[in-house]
Parts: sequence; structure tokens; C-alpha cells
Amino acid sequence: MTALTCRFIKLADGLLRGAQVTVCRVGAALQRAPVIQCIRTHRTNTWWDEHLTEDNPWPRHEWAEGSRRVGLVAVKLGMMPVWSKSGERHVVTMLQVQDCHVVKHLSKEEYNGRTAALIVGGKNISPFHRPEGYLEVFRNAGVPPKQKLTTFCVSDNAIIKPGTPLYAAHFCPGQYVDVTAKTIGKGFQGVMKRWGFKGQPASHGQTKTHRRPGSLGPGGDPAKVFKGKKMPGRMGNIYDTNHGLKVWRVNTKYNILYINGSVPGHRNCLVKVRDSILPTRLENNKNPPFPTFFADGDKELPEDLFDEDVFQFGQPMPE
Amino acid sequence: MAAVCTSRTRQMMGLLRILRNFSQNERLLSTSVLRHNVASDGPPKFTPPSKPVIIDKTQKEASLRRFLSPEFIPPRQRTNPVKFSIERKDMIQRRKVLNIPEFYAGSILAVTMTDPHVNGNLNRFVGICIQRSGKGLGATFILRNVVDGQGVEICYELYSPRMRKIEVLKLEKRLDDNLMYLRDALPEYSTFNFDMQPVHYEITGDVPVNLLKVKMRPKPWSKRWERPKFNIKGIRFDLCLTPEMMEHAQKWAEPWRPYDMLKEYDTSSLEEHIFKEVHENLRK
Repeated sequence: MTALTCRFIKLADGLLRGAQVTVCRVGAALQRAPVIQCIRTHRTNTWWDEHLTEDNPWPRHEWAEGSRRVGLVAVKLGMMPVWSKSGERHVVTMLQVQDCHVVKHLSKEEYNGRTAALIVGGKNISPFHRPEGYLEVFRNAGVPPKQKLTTFCVSDNAIIKPGTPLYAAHFCPGQYVDVTAKTIGKGFQGVMKRWGFKGQPASHGQTKTHRRPGSLGPGGDPAKVFKGKKMPGRMGNIYDTNHGLKVWRVNTKYNILYINGSVPGHRNCLVKVRDSILPTRLENNKNPPFPTFFADGDKELPEDLFDEDVFQFGQPMPE
Repeated sequence: MAAVCTSRTRQMMGLLRILRNFSQNERLLSTSVLRHNVASDGPPKFTPPSKPVIIDKTQKEASLRRFLSPEFIPPRQRTNPVKFSIERKDMIQRRKVLNIPEFYAGSILAVTMTDPHVNGNLNRFVGICIQRSGKGLGATFILRNVVDGQGVEICYELYSPRMRKIEVLKLEKRLDDNLMYLRDALPEYSTFNFDMQPVHYEITGDVPVNLLKVKMRPKPWSKRWERPKFNIKGIRFDLCLTPEMMEHAQKWAEPWRPYDMLKEYDTSSLEEHIFKEVHENLRK
């Protein structure tokens, strides 16, 4: 174990409330290294600077074929049209990434024995009216409590330190994503709406039978109704995924993703966005920001990132 | 009249005096600046004169008609206002490139669009605007005309990149916002000449309202326009319906509608904010 001299200095809160400075005392260069105090404004019991030590347990690797990286949790804002340069109109859903943080890291052994996992949290919510056990995870990560927590299976070279914020620039325009969310609940629905049955004719002698399922299966041989028979019941309010949705545009100022087509869920619902697993879309997802887009300040992104096909309104007309 | 003239002349004299003073000062300043430059660097750099700003002083800004296009007003929904503000930015960017004039349902427009299937690539259509619908970037308007005896309606998107030019040939309002009943009216009310010349309209004051009441073809119509839910004032019902039929149509009246508080949507403050925002950004 190297000389890990990470000591935290607790100064009077009144002095440095609101100040945020980082401590780095690395190994041998004790006397010469600049000492800056670090205080977090929300009082946490644990914090660490493992990424600043020599054996950094959270290294940043380069993207390689077959590696899986994290996804994001976003809020569905609404939909709007987008035109391509050839004049075709497509509809896009706007997903805003609000306060997305990595909350926990589960190693291969803890999770399922095959891949590591990262738990990511979405929108910030108040810590009140929530059970203690739920808030504990966030306290350990040093992050405000989130409304939605999702797990992403991640390859070992893509693990991220808990507490890192995730931004919309994690996805590039032109790439394909899968979006998972809870569908709009429709309540108890009949068989025509729920399963798309044809029903019966409206007239020509039908007695009280217009939207009924009709026959429930074959007759005397099984002499039973098979399990899983499509019948009326509660529809919606289940998790559903839309695969292979193209990212047309990314707004880095407000952290908004413009994703092709529609996405399950109502307005202002939380969705899980991750890189597409469709084999035909793997080519478009090459060389993404890996393991994620870090806003370290060295690279200034423009406010809007467009796909090459998108017609941008300020530009001159293409035809 | 004489009093006004004299006061005006007095003002003008005052202004002239001030201007003269200013011009003298400017001259002094300019020469001093030139001398200063000559002293420090060699021949002075050529600074082009500032472009003249043409301010139309005959009409004050307050008297110009304040028109906010209806697609800017967000619908009554539980949506995050961020979504509307971002859409508005895109709309303003598009408006800086393409001039979308003020028009209402009942105005006659000429629209030029790019069309890959036409020889000259451009396609021009003239018609009366019968409906303006949609909010945000997907706002549309429908133009109707009768070409060779065939009624034609084309739905255009205001912010489509294929739009080249939108000209208002005649700006006017009608008694209704939605003129879909022109489909069941006599064709003379929907025919407009393609070579119609633009009629001059004022930028100040109110938009002229055409109180035309349209004569209809015999029933059946595509929709029961006499029913109170459409609230149409621009049809001559006395020529096509008996008073008994009018009374029968009143059965579908919903007199509680104007008192339904859940359907109230007061957009006056929203409109003002959005109007200011749009005009500031368009001027930039």
C-alpha cells in the first residue's frame, strides 16, 4: 500500500461555507506540493481522492471493440419536428439530462459474476419523506438524492468513480440509442385495445358481442385454456424499450438529446438511455466519449452539436 | 393649426441650434483625435464611416401593430417551459433567414416552395388561408383555391426548409378563425387569381375585417356548420336553413362552456413576455 496521505481537514463551517477547494497531498512530495483545503458544502462522512493517487482505481481507458459504457437517466420533455438536408421531415423526442450522477459501482463478483455494474441516478429530489436506507447510498457517494436509480452493465474498462456527473455530451449526434421507460398506464383494458384482437362485426345479427375475445382455444383435446392466453387486464405502466433510435442533435448548454421517433412514457417521466445493442447499429456507435464525457474544462464544446444530415435553421437553404 | 406650426418650428430651431453646437464640438474632437493619431502612429488607419441608421420617424414604435404569431404561444400543458424556450430559439433563427409576415385566416397568400419534381425547382401557389394550426416548429397553415374548377387545399409548414417565400397579397380578417366551411360554400368564394397583385396594407392600426357572409351549396355539407360548437358567423344561414332547423341545431348548444374554469387559459402575460423576447432576438 503506498503512502496514502489523504487527510481531510475539518475547518470551522462558518469560515468556509460555500468554498470548494481540492486537497492533494500525494505521496512523497509532502513539503513541496501545494496544499489546498477541501470542504464539501453538504456534510458527508466520507470522501476520498483515490483518482489522484498513484494506483488510481478509476483509470480512464480508451474505447475498444466490444466494450460497453454507461448510459444516462433523462427526463422526457416533449416532441418536435426536425428536417434533414434533403427536406424530409422527421419527429424527434427531446430528453433532458437533469442532474445525472454515477451513484455506485458494483464489481463483477458483487453483481452477477460476469460484468461489472454502475448504478446511475436521475433527477434530484428532496431528502425528506424518503426512507433512511434509500438515502444512505447517496450519502456514501456524496450526491443529492435522486428520483430514479438504474443499473447499467458495464465492461471493466468503462467503470467510473461514484459521484461523477454525466452530461448529454456523453452521446454524439449520429449514434443510435435504446430508450427504456415505463409506458403510460391505460388501466384495465379490453382485449381489442390490449392485444389488437379484431372483435366481431357491428351488425348482421351479432347479439351483444362486438369487442369480446371469442374463442379461448381448441376444444376437448387439451380441455383447458393455455397459460398466457391473451385476455383483458391492466395495460401499460410496465417498462418497455425502443431500440435503435438515432440521436439527431445534442444541446450541451441545457443537456438535451434529440432522439428520433417516439419514446415510451408520458411527458416529464424519467427514461434510461444507453448505447444501442442492435448488431446493425454497432458501426455508428464507434469511438464515443469513453468512459463518459468529462467536463474537465480542457475541451469547450459548441452549444449545439448537429448530425451531418440535420438542416440547421441558421444555415443557408440546401436546395 | 398656426399654434402647432409655430411650436414645431420652435422645436426645429432648438434642434438645429443643438445640432450646430454638436457639429462644432465634433469637429473639434475629430481634429484633436486626428492630430493625436498622427503624433503617435504615422498615417491614420482608414475607418469607414458608420452605416446610416434609417429610423422611420413618421410612425412611432408604439403605434405599430403588435402582432405575435399564434404558434409562439405554448399550449396549456404540463410541459417544462425549457422545451418551449428552446423551440422558440429555433423558430427565431429560422425567421431571421425567412421573412414570415403577419397574416390571419382569411388573408390571401402566395407561397413559393422548392419542389424537386418541377422544372424550375420552385412551385408557387396562391390561395386564401382557411386555418392556422399547430404550435412551435410544426405550425401549419392551409391555403385554398379553385384551379380549373377543382378545389385545391395545400397544407404548408411555416418553418419547413423548403419554404422560399411567403407573401401576403391581401391582409384581412374574416368573421371566423376557421374557414373550413368554404369547402361547402359556392366556389366563387374560394377562387383567387394566381396573378393577383398585392394590395397595400397599413402597418399601423387594426387589421381590416371582411364582414362577408358566404352563400352555401345545398345540404348535405361535410360538417354540420349550423351547430353552435363551430360558432360560425360568416355563413348566410337565412338562405339555406329554416328557422326550425336553426332551433334544432341549438339542441347541441353547451351554454356552460364559457363558465368552465378548467378550460380557462389566460395568455395575456405569457404573450407579452414572448413578444418582447421574440422582438429583441429578431432585432439582433
